[in-house]
Amino acid sequence: MSGQNEPFRFHNPTGFVVVAVVSATVVVAFGLGFLLLPRYQESRAPFSTKDALYHALGFHIHGRAFNTIQPTLKVPTYIAWTETTIQQATTGDRKRGEFIATNCTACHGENGLSTQPWIPSLAGLDPLVLYKQLDDFRSGTRLSGPMSAIAQSLTPQQYADVSAYFASLPGLPENSGERTPRPNSSYRNRDPVQRLIYAGDPKRGIAACASCHGPGGYRIGAPALAKQNELYLEQQLQAFAQGTRANDMDMPMRTIAGGLTESEMRALARAYANENATGP
Amino acid sequence: MERGRVLSLAHLWTAFLCFLPAVGLGFWQMLMRSPLPAPVDDPNIYYASVTAHGSIMAYVFPTFFAMGFGYAIAVSALGRPLQGEKWAWVGYALSLIGTAMALVPVAAGRASVLYTFYPPLLGSPWYYLGVALVIIGSYFWIGVMLVNFRAWKRENPGKPVPLAMFAITACAILWGWTALGAVSEVLFQILPVTFGWRHTIDAGLARTLFSVTLHAIVYFWLLPAYIAYYTLMPQAAGGRLYSDTMGRITFILFLVFSIPVGLHHLFMDPEHGAGFKFVQSVLTFMVALPTLLTVFTITASLEIAGRVRGGKGLFGWIRALPWDEPMVLAVGLSLLLLGPGGFGGLINMSYAMNAMIHNTSWVTAHFHLIFGGAVVIVYFAIAYELWPRLTGRPLVSKHLADIQLWLWFWGILITTIPWHIAGLMGQPRRYAIFDYSDPAVAKTAFLVILSVIGGCIVLSSVLLFFYVLVRSSFAPVAESMPPIRYALSVNPPATVPALLNGFGLWNVILLSLVLIAYGYPIGQFFFLHNQNAPAYSLTRGITK
Repeated sequence: MSGQNEPFRFHNPTGFVVVAVVSATVVVAFGLGFLLLPRYQESRAPFSTKDALYHALGFHIHGRAFNTIQPTLKVPTYIAWTETTIQQATTGDRKRGEFIATNCTACHGENGLSTQPWIPSLAGLDPLVLYKQLDDFRSGTRLSGPMSAIAQSLTPQQYADVSAYFASLPGLPENSGERTPRPNSSYRNRDPVQRLIYAGDPKRGIAACASCHGPGGYRIGAPALAKQNELYLEQQLQAFAQGTRANDMDMPMRTIAGGLTESEMRALARAYANENATGP
Repeated sequence: MERGRVLSLAHLWTAFLCFLPAVGLGFWQMLMRSPLPAPVDDPNIYYASVTAHGSIMAYVFPTFFAMGFGYAIAVSALGRPLQGEKWAWVGYALSLIGTAMALVPVAAGRASVLYTFYPPLLGSPWYYLGVALVIIGSYFWIGVMLVNFRAWKRENPGKPVPLAMFAITACAILWGWTALGAVSEVLFQILPVTFGWRHTIDAGLARTLFSVTLHAIVYFWLLPAYIAYYTLMPQAAGGRLYSDTMGRITFILFLVFSIPVGLHHLFMDPEHGAGFKFVQSVLTFMVALPTLLTVFTITASLEIAGRVRGGKGLFGWIRALPWDEPMVLAVGLSLLLLGPGGFGGLINMSYAMNAMIHNTSWVTAHFHLIFGGAVVIVYFAIAYELWPRLTGRPLVSKHLADIQLWLWFWGILITTIPWHIAGLMGQPRRYAIFDYSDPAVAKTAFLVILSVIGGCIVLSSVLLFFYVLVRSSFAPVAESMPPIRYALSVNPPATVPALLNGFGLWNVILLSLVLIAYGYPIGQFFFLHNQNAPAYSLTRGITK
């Protein structure tokens, strides 16, 4: 159809209307979201235009409104999992570590497998776990006479080296990532200890051990527990519960252990000590 | 034409053959979360299963479906052989390889990261590469659609592009832009860590990049269904489309508004200020506009068909409609489910109301209602419509097809409505197991069991769907099969303004909107915040 034959040539304005609506929406949305609404935030009002903009952009406004008294900081650990720390802790030299480890064998066993039930086996543990514990012993956030003295005599590079050495030894199940199907690992399991390990007890605010310690998912800095010495595990649970050990970041262990009964701690320690790589 | 049929059919079969096991997994997940006994009672398997179910339903199934439907439209609506068929097959092969690459590590339990793969959780690199390959394969489809769109316009200067082709091209362009978010997250954030080149990941940036894809992907799923609303349903109902222009505006609005809205998935995230969350919340409301236009236009089209068929009075036209036509029935049921689904969506996108339902089962229920109820039900109808044309064999039974659609409708409704309520009662999402001995959790037990019953109906509907398809594929070849006919509008346009016949300007507007809405939220990570967190694999220690 050509335009000349039509008596009324109708110019379809739809496209331009859509463009106008889109632009108007954007302008109104920014006006509301950045200038007007932040001024009426109940807890923060009255705002200046500059403060409103900062709030909308997600800046922290130092000074007023945030000027509350901060409690003194009690640090659970001086380790932060930054790129640099992880890089250092995971690239230790195994050979140099083996030399340093001659200081460790008296207590932790010839091959990193301790024969004394209150002392942990180290063979096969993740290097990040060992690195963090050494640094905590050095800084005093985890307490132990001999370990503090030893850790203070070593450099962070040596932590990494000795960690690399113990991590390379066969022993505790390494974090192999096996996720073998295990039926009955939910609340439907009748065994209360297995239920605690795999499902936790949300009514008491207790998370499942397995969600950090495996088998299956290992959270960074959380040790594998299978085959660990029973008495050591039980003592650590008690120490966390009483707060005498407090080097867990964000205090998951203090929270969880605090909710466990004495007999549950014992049963959990026994279950993990008798566990194999893919599950108890 | 013959070869074009094989191409479409291969895509559609692949889509549905992936869909079938994914539905089965979904049903097992419902059992696992319920108080009823479930086989293989293991949370680890649950997360692997959710990853497979979600990856198939979100990426594999709709992508293959849109590709197959797109090729069928390009051939039938434009009335010319498909240009670039070789490239279409390359895309098909890549997507197929990608699917296998992604699903093998999931099945091996090495990538239980859910289909949203939010960092710093990390799975096997093969999973991410596989998903990326599915998307890369679909880019070949986008290319082929654009080439055919342009070729037709060159051959028919000044004529309006058929609405079906215009719409599927909008869908392709939308997917092309929006997939870039997830692809860049995988390429620049996740893969460097899975290959061990980096140890930490910027969780805020990664989530923000994913949000670029996360919402618009929903419209990529939805648009094929809307194409059937506008172009197939009025024809099947024996009427006409109320307005061709309204259709074009709808698809353009989806293209323009669907991407700069993804931040509403991150309302509770700390890495963004309130301003951009609010702006994207407003923009999300704008996406409701094309849906409201559609509801109006499609209801009007149904009324036209009903009155043409002799329906009288205020509601008499509804009874007069041919509800035994699967396409009409599916669109009717889809519109019904779009109602509660859409209003649920308005709650999710509202900055303040979102806080109530964030990370609860409400959200999971919502997207199952929208995707299953409003979208997939129309995919079924499209399959019923296309199968006879692609295979040359008539559908074995329209009656069975209707029963299948009704089963699906009730199944989805019974699954998702109690699921919504459980979410409102505080049931969290992404949980494998619930302790129903806890009185607070026990309150939801009845609702969850209702959902399981709904899931059972959904599963039976899918089995019936396959029965109809397979039986039809073995039916004797019909002597003549009418071609696909697309609905004429009441006033078929002889010309349309250039703005409504192409996407040049709309691409510019879309990109400007994305720049305005996402420029700062993404840019801030490069000069303001550093939110690097150690990435850790679910299945391996960080170091190995």
